[in-house]
Amino acid sequence: MSTNTELDADARERLLDLAAEFYDQFAEGEVPSMRIPTRTKSNIEYDDDKEVWVYGDRHSTRSANTVTGAKKLLKAIYVIDFLAQQLDEDRSSTLRELYYLSESWNHETAQFSSQDESNQLIEDLEIVSDVTREDFHMRPEESGATLMGPIHLREQTRRGERDIHCQEDVGEGGYQIPNNPDTIEFLEHDADFILCVETGGMRDRLVENGFDEEHNTIVVHLKGQPARATRRITRRLHDELDLPVVVFTDGDPWSYRIFASVAYGSIKSAHLSEYLATPNAKFIGIQPTDIVEYDLPTDPLSDSDVNALENELEDPRFQSDYWTEQIERQLDINKKAEQQALASRGLDFVTDTYLPTRLEEMGVL
Amino acid sequence: MTSYQSELGGRSNVAEELAESQRSISIAEFFEKNKHMLGFDSGARGLVTAVKEAVDNALDATEEAGILPDIYVGIKEEGDYYRVIVEDNGPGITKEQLPKVFGKLLYGSRFHVREQKRGQQGIGISAAVLYSQLTSGKPAMITSRTEGESAAQYFELIIDTDTNEPEISVDTTTTWDRPHGTRIELEMEANMRARQQLHDYIKHTAVVNPHARIEFEEPREQLKFERVTDQLPAETEEIRPHPHGIELGSLIKLLDETASHSISGFLQDEFTRVGQKTADSIITAFVDRHFGREMSWRPPERSAVETAVTDAVTNKSEEATAAFAQRIGTVLTERDRVAHHELVDIVANAAEHVRSESNATFGTAAQKTTAGAVWSVLTDDIESDLSRIVDDTTTSRKDAETIDGMARRIAVKFEDVERHRLQKETVASFVARAAEQTETHDGTTFGETAQENVVSGIWSVCRSVPDDPPKVRAVERDRDTASELLGAMRETDILAPPTDCLAPITETLVEEGLRKEFDADFYAATTRDAEVHGGDPFIVEAGIAYGGDIKSEGRIDVLRFANRVPLVYQRGACATADVIQDINWRNYNLDQPGGSGTPNGPAVVMIHVASTNVPFTSESKDAIANVPEIEHEIELALRSAARELKRYLKKRRTLEQRQRKRNVIADILPTMADKLADMTERESLAIEDSLARIMNNVLIERTVDNDAVRLVVTNHSDSVADLALTDIVSVDPGDIEDATVVEMDGEWFVKWDPSVRSGEQAVIEYDVNGNASFDISVEGIEPEKLSINA
Repeated sequence: MSTNTELDADARERLLDLAAEFYDQFAEGEVPSMRIPTRTKSNIEYDDDKEVWVYGDRHSTRSANTVTGAKKLLKAIYVIDFLAQQLDEDRSSTLRELYYLSESWNHETAQFSSQDESNQLIEDLEIVSDVTREDFHMRPEESGATLMGPIHLREQTRRGERDIHCQEDVGEGGYQIPNNPDTIEFLEHDADFILCVETGGMRDRLVENGFDEEHNTIVVHLKGQPARATRRITRRLHDELDLPVVVFTDGDPWSYRIFASVAYGSIKSAHLSEYLATPNAKFIGIQPTDIVEYDLPTDPLSDSDVNALENELEDPRFQSDYWTEQIERQLDINKKAEQQALASRGLDFVTDTYLPTRLEEMGVL
Repeated sequence: MTSYQSELGGRSNVAEELAESQRSISIAEFFEKNKHMLGFDSGARGLVTAVKEAVDNALDATEEAGILPDIYVGIKEEGDYYRVIVEDNGPGITKEQLPKVFGKLLYGSRFHVREQKRGQQGIGISAAVLYSQLTSGKPAMITSRTEGESAAQYFELIIDTDTNEPEISVDTTTTWDRPHGTRIELEMEANMRARQQLHDYIKHTAVVNPHARIEFEEPREQLKFERVTDQLPAETEEIRPHPHGIELGSLIKLLDETASHSISGFLQDEFTRVGQKTADSIITAFVDRHFGREMSWRPPERSAVETAVTDAVTNKSEEATAAFAQRIGTVLTERDRVAHHELVDIVANAAEHVRSESNATFGTAAQKTTAGAVWSVLTDDIESDLSRIVDDTTTSRKDAETIDGMARRIAVKFEDVERHRLQKETVASFVARAAEQTETHDGTTFGETAQENVVSGIWSVCRSVPDDPPKVRAVERDRDTASELLGAMRETDILAPPTDCLAPITETLVEEGLRKEFDADFYAATTRDAEVHGGDPFIVEAGIAYGGDIKSEGRIDVLRFANRVPLVYQRGACATADVIQDINWRNYNLDQPGGSGTPNGPAVVMIHVASTNVPFTSESKDAIANVPEIEHEIELALRSAARELKRYLKKRRTLEQRQRKRNVIADILPTMADKLADMTERESLAIEDSLARIMNNVLIERTVDNDAVRLVVTNHSDSVADLALTDIVSVDPGDIEDATVVEMDGEWFVKWDPSVRSGEQAVIEYDVNGNASFDISVEGIEPEKLSINA
């Protein structure tokens, strides 16, 4: 692994290359432009070698030919300048900070009108420069999620190295995953598998019931749609420690997407799938069949739920017999259930019965 | 109209000649009771009308004499009264004609002539004279001088309203600075409340008469309108009336006056577009109306005919009778259908035939008996004949019972018709009655369309009769017969009247006129081809001025003209208003709240209708009547001008968008370039080329390397750029390939006209010795589409 300074220098170099490219376009009398893959569901395809979903061949061109294109390029150039400077000074900032920072830029047109715009631009730059956001020293706002389990690791912090055991050295909350998990070195572990959990309530239940200790499990809290750092560390745990990964979410279409982004990569960051996705991750539940089998308390599907399910039937990431069956089943019963609905059978039901049964079925236990 | 221009000066009696065609009609008393109809219903209105009539007269007088009009209009306060003064530089009026022209109502050649003239009716100026006299008690004061006369004539004139006779109270000579012309002064009870209309009238007159110079002076303001063209309106021809455009009264009058005896001669002599063939068609239609047609029937079996003939003939040899019967039988049954008069002919011919063959004579009486007998056989079963016609002409499937019922009922009605000769209306009444009966008795309806079809089916097999049409005298004496002739004239297809009797302003001058009075950004004008309403040809012209100084709040202004006369009153009642309101102006990028009605915005629309007879809604000639043909042409003319406006507005909009884009891009690009140069630590960038490419512009760049100057035109647009470049150089550039160099006052004008195709470049190179300054200007392209870096 290259050192941080080398990484930074490399990232900076790539950004400046991008600037040089624009410069050359001007010098040639051409119209400055930037080519970016179209980031939609219809333009992702499965990469057999890497076993993840990546962008297809469709591209769109941001060019100064149009007023909006010119404005975007101007913003891109300001951001490149800012990032290069940030790397030079070895500082970091959050996406939100970047958004506010743009207010200080002298050219009014360069300022962002919304944070979505600045977030998207950062993603664009990741793609064209082939450098990840983390290597630009850009962080998301929310603190990363947590993990808990029998693993000993070493984190490079700004205040030096820290050796942490993720059960013994942490509180009830668990180990806080840093924004750039590539600064972590895994030392040793007793884990048998990794369990990613969608909701905080369920994660707390598992920890309280001692599920991590009993089954030698690393419990990763996804906190809804998982942050990149969460997905990155999951992938590294799987790759480097050769541990199976299972995902435990609510039983609704939105949760299936959470699973998909862990396992297959998200549409927005398909350029990083290779780095973030864990293709071997398996879905535990809640499955529509579980809803029927355990007679779980349910809510009826809303119109948007139905819509989302139907979209998933068309989503290339869900094109498998398993998912087709599950989704059609759910449309059929017209119901959804939360993870915590398992509590209707007692607080220990999930740890004593549901998870062991499912894990056995899946061959993990 | 005859041109007098060349004769002016050569002969001094032009005015006398012009007066020859004048006729007089007495109507003075009528005016007193009807002045509201003539546009004199109030003091304010009266003033406008008086000015209008006098100016129309002055313009007509000068144009008729081929003189470019130079007109002065003055309004002065005279105590409690106003004095209207109108002067022209026309040919002047002779002593004999003068009182008649100004003093007798409905006295003027216009009333009788089909020609495009402002006045159209002679009621104009004399009404103003009368109005002045009635309100102020003062006579009309007229000064006139004909070409070459040493002194001008001065008259004071009063009209005797009982006798419609003018009386000249003063007749002297006077001095006048105009070499020829007429000046009329009228004092009247009036006020200036209609100042705006008065100004509009004068201003609009100037718009449609770009060849006239008009000066206007009123107590508060003075306006001057200069002439913008020396081109007089095209001379117009007087035309005879068109058969489609005449009324019954006029027709009877023409019949009374004509020297022709036959209707054919009358039609050909008195009407335009009527030759022998057209006259024949009219006469056929006239005869059909006057005498009716004879119904023809399918011939019966030949044997039946021959039997009938044989039975009818007495006292003739068997052989001759057989020959006669055979002949009639043969000819008759060869025919498709036979009408009564045809039968009579057939019998007569057969008699002649037999006489020449066998010397047997069948006299008139025998022929008549025979014809009668055959006629009975021929009309024996008209019911089945009619049944077939009814069946053939009704498309919708009627059941046999209804058809037979109709046929039977129609057939019965023929019984009382002698020779089965009848008018079309009679056929129609038969069918209508039969349908009525069918409905009552059979309970089945026989609709109006079906009835019409049956009528035309029957009428089409009715034969025109060979009777001679009545003579002119007979027609003239009988109003009904005259009405039949008129109907025949209207029904017959006749070539549209010639249109050279019209003088449109023409597109160029419509635009010129608008340009003169309105400072706008855009002008468009259309002159339509001549069309015909009734029997009168007309031409519609429309113009639009847009933007510039034209007020942008509220409705657009509409300028209406008839035969070059502005119409200032009754805007809403005018056909033009209806047409404008019915057009969807949003289609033409004008604001139209609610999608109908007069549009809003900085535009002026003008409409001119020129015709030998502009139809007005009333005698005061303020509003054009709603004649469908005219409305249609107005619409087409407006739409045509509006399409040009739309194109202009669209282009302007794209250029504006282009400018906005350029403004944004031109703001962004340099910042990008600076920033990039800064980041990459390279030299600063020239961005004009990229900018030109983005804007799809034509880029002109100059590079100066020591003394070598290189001028490059790059065309980034998608069409060919034909440019005219002028580069003013402070030192001598020597000879340049592809360009010409002209020295002027120590500066060298390099002229270069490159034609550069899309995506290509053109280059010139030259050397300058030492320090030179350059000043380049480019023509042949909109500034928005050009980038200069030179």
